[in-house]
Parts: sequence; C-alpha cells; structure tokens
Amino acid sequence: MNYSELTQRYFETAPGAGTLGPGAARGAAGSRAQGTWVQFELQIDAPGGRIAAARFLAFGCPHTIAVAAWVAEAAVGRLPQPALPEGVQALRRRFDLPVEKLGRLLVVEDAWLAAMADAGVKS
Amino acid sequence: MSPDAARAPMTAPVYLDNAATTPVDPRVAARMAECLTEAGVYGNPGSDAHEFGERAAERVERARAQVAAAAGAEPGEVIWTSGATEANNLAVFGAAHYYRDAGRHVVTARTEHRAVLDPCRELERRGWRVTYLVPDSGGGIDPGQVQAALQGDTTLVSIMHVNNEIGVVQDIAAIAAVCARHGVARLHVDAAQSMGKCAIDFGAAGVDLMSLSAHKVHGPKGVGALLVSRRRDLQLQALQFGGGQERGLRSGTVPTHQVVGMGEAFALAAAATAEGPRVAALRDRLWQGLEAIGRVLRNGAAQNTVPQLLNVSFEEVEGESLLAAVRAQVAVSTGSACASAAREPSYVLRALGRDERLAESSLRFSLGRFTTPQDIEVAVEAVAAAVARLRRIAGA
Repeated sequence: MNYSELTQRYFETAPGAGTLGPGAARGAAGSRAQGTWVQFELQIDAPGGRIAAARFLAFGCPHTIAVAAWVAEAAVGRLPQPALPEGVQALRRRFDLPVEKLGRLLVVEDAWLAAMADAGVKS
Repeated sequence: MSPDAARAPMTAPVYLDNAATTPVDPRVAARMAECLTEAGVYGNPGSDAHEFGERAAERVERARAQVAAAAGAEPGEVIWTSGATEANNLAVFGAAHYYRDAGRHVVTARTEHRAVLDPCRELERRGWRVTYLVPDSGGGIDPGQVQAALQGDTTLVSIMHVNNEIGVVQDIAAIAAVCARHGVARLHVDAAQSMGKCAIDFGAAGVDLMSLSAHKVHGPKGVGALLVSRRRDLQLQALQFGGGQERGLRSGTVPTHQVVGMGEAFALAAAATAEGPRVAALRDRLWQGLEAIGRVLRNGAAQNTVPQLLNVSFEEVEGESLLAAVRAQVAVSTGSACASAAREPSYVLRALGRDERLAESSLRFSLGRFTTPQDIEVAVEAVAAAVARLRRIAGA
C-alpha cells in the first residue's frame, strides 16, 4: 500500500508516543483483538486551562498511528474541547486515507472523546 | 555475467520474497535471448516446413526434456502452459470435466493456492461437490484424511506439494497410494514451489497431474507446465482450442524463448544440489535472530518445511504496520492479502488455527539462490527494530 508523505512521516517518527503517568486524563477506544486500539493521555493545566502535554499509544495500521500522533501533537496548547483538533473528514483528506480506513479514524476520535470525558470536558 | 551481477543495488531492500518470484538467472536469460532476434532461433516451432521452425522445435524439445528430467517425468508428459495458474486450471477443470460421467466429487485442502481453490469453487457452481480438507496445526494433510474423504464418485484429488506461504511439504507419495487404491480418483499436485526446494519425482510418486512454474526457480514469468501421466493414460478435456499444439491440450504457439528459459532454469535447479544445505543454514540463522526478538511464533511444522521458506507471526504487532516499517530495508510478504485497502488475514494461517491477529501479523521470508548471509543480518536487524518500535507505540 502507498502512503501519503504526511502519513509516512508521522508513522515513522510517531511524535508523542508514550504515556504521561499518574494524574493525566486518559481515554481509549477500539480493541487489539479487532485490529485497532488507540489511547490518549492529556495533561491539562489548571481547570479551564490549555492542554500542556499529550501522549498516545496505538495498535493499528500506519494511518492509525500517524493520525493519532498528529492529533496528540496538534492538541498541545489548545483548550480542551470535545472534538478532535480537526474533524474526521478533514483528517481523512489531510492524510489521504482510503475510504476503507475511515473506521480507523473513528476509533481515534472515540479515544479522544474518552480522554476528554476523563478530563471532565462535557460534550 | 555472474549471478552476483544480477543482484540489486546496495541501496535496494534485501529481497526475501523468492516464493513470490525470483530474478531470472543470467544464464537463463542468455539462453532466452538466443531465441528472440533475427540472428537467433526465432522461428515458430510449429512451422516444420523450413529450417527456422525446425531449429525452434529442437530448442523446445530440448527444453521439454530438461523439464522432464528435472521432474522425473517423460518428455511426452510435459504440456507447456503460461504458468502454474493455467496448469492448475487445466488440471482441475480438464480432469473434472473429462471424467464427469464417473463422478462429480473433488477433494482438496483449505491451504491450497487460490489457483486451485478458485477453480474448485467454480466447479461447485457447476454442480460438483468439493471436500476441503483441514490441515493439522503444522500444515500437514494426513493421507488418512484423504482416504476418509474419498467417495465412490471422487474423480480428482488436488493437493499441493510445497505450500507457498509456510513451506510445508506434503507426503505426496502416500496420498498417491491412497488414490491408486481407490482406483478412480486421479491425483493432481500443484508443485509450483517445489523445483529447487525439494526433490520431485513425478513418475515414482504415482502422481497423475503436476503443475510446474518457471519463475519460482529463477526462470521467466509467463511459462509453466502441466505434467500429464501417460502411465495411467490420464485424459483431460482441453480448455482452449485453436492450433492443436501440445497434444491438443493447450492450443497456441509455443513461446520458444519462454520454454527454453524454463528448461534451463529447471536444469540449473536440478544440478544445484548444494543449494539446500546452504539455504537451510541461512534460514536457521534467520529464525534464530527472529526468535530472539521474543513473542514470535513459527508457522508450519519446522521439521517438515523446505529450507527456503520461513513464516513467522509477531505477537502484539499489527501486520500492515510491520510490513510498512520494514519495507525500506526488506522485501517480504505479509500474512495478509492486500489487493485492496481492506486486508484479509492469511486463509492458510487461519486454516492452521492461528487467530486473526496472529495470521495478520505474520511475515513470509523466502530465500533464494542469491540470498547472502549479509541479507539475513539486515533482515533480522530491520525486523527486530520495527517490532520493538511498534510494540512500544502500542504500549505492549
């Protein structure tokens, strides 16, 4: 399979892969048994503050890893919101994902929403 | 040109996908080139009215003899085809239709190549019954399973010799004996992966039909053969018509350069008796290096596989990412079929009982004549680094 330059770069470098440890807001979605699993951990400054740090873990295809890495990177410095830093369709275009991979993006989105819920951000 | 001269540039990935196809041996290419240009043997081998055709026919018959000698067959038992897929189709459809009045039941295995399974499914659509045998966890088909599956109206059994994904070798002689005792069932063997990897003796094994491929053994793509036993007077219904070539079983001008290439490739493979131990040592070193990664599983019974193939599943690693992570350094096949973005886990590994994740996270390493110890070290290092990185990203 051919991957876009952006997908290739974020898959190969996977910035933000890892965890933040105790105290971080955490949310996960998907399952390894089903082939795609993503977790986000967020460190948010004082209540109402911005996202100070974000990490992710991902079991999945290169697109999943690349998008999760991009989302974690893009989240830093933003106000926590119950929506991805960029919508699913926009992410699909940005990473040139085939339509068959749309479900993987939804797992990324669900993991993000779960992390936001854990952080107390209401949707 | 020496075989080393055919090697890819140093910057190219290490090629460990020889079960998919092999580079043409320069000695084979040289023979083929002799049959292409005006200065060479370019005549139609079917044109017996002049010298050009006669010379081409001589080359074709020499190649036929080379293939027959390498496979333990008589030259008259070799029918040229465009490859193993066509040979498999001719065998399955040709035998099933010719013997349809004797019965419409076929026995095969779930681990066969698609070039056998798809014709069998088509036979089902045409009213035949097909029994698909399930291998043991090592990939073996017990001859007793074949015996138990035979019915009064079974006219064809199709079992491959060397599995293309896991390299497991089936006991063809024992299966042939079962078919012989049955009396009506003919045995077809897909031996596309066999030449150069393990001994083939078409005549001694008691096989009725055997499919062969040139490009798996450093010959050209686009040519293969079906061995059709004369000993048991096997008959086939032809699938294509037009010129009556190849005893009427495969009409069409015989491509002289292609069959000459196949003949040379088979002769070289048959003479390369030292190849097996050398490749086996490389394969063992590869497995040693991969096993050290940890949480890896070898697919297929290790004691019963050809030296050229090693199939390994990696726990806690997603298959597509693994392939993407190593592809710059190593060219291998994955355990997933990826004709489209929707990947399917290997049906062969699933038939062995591997779960979907392990079937999907497998890599097939297939070694060849030009594989070097350095290639193996590059592969081990690349895969170990990729697996470690992906497991870290997955928190595994």
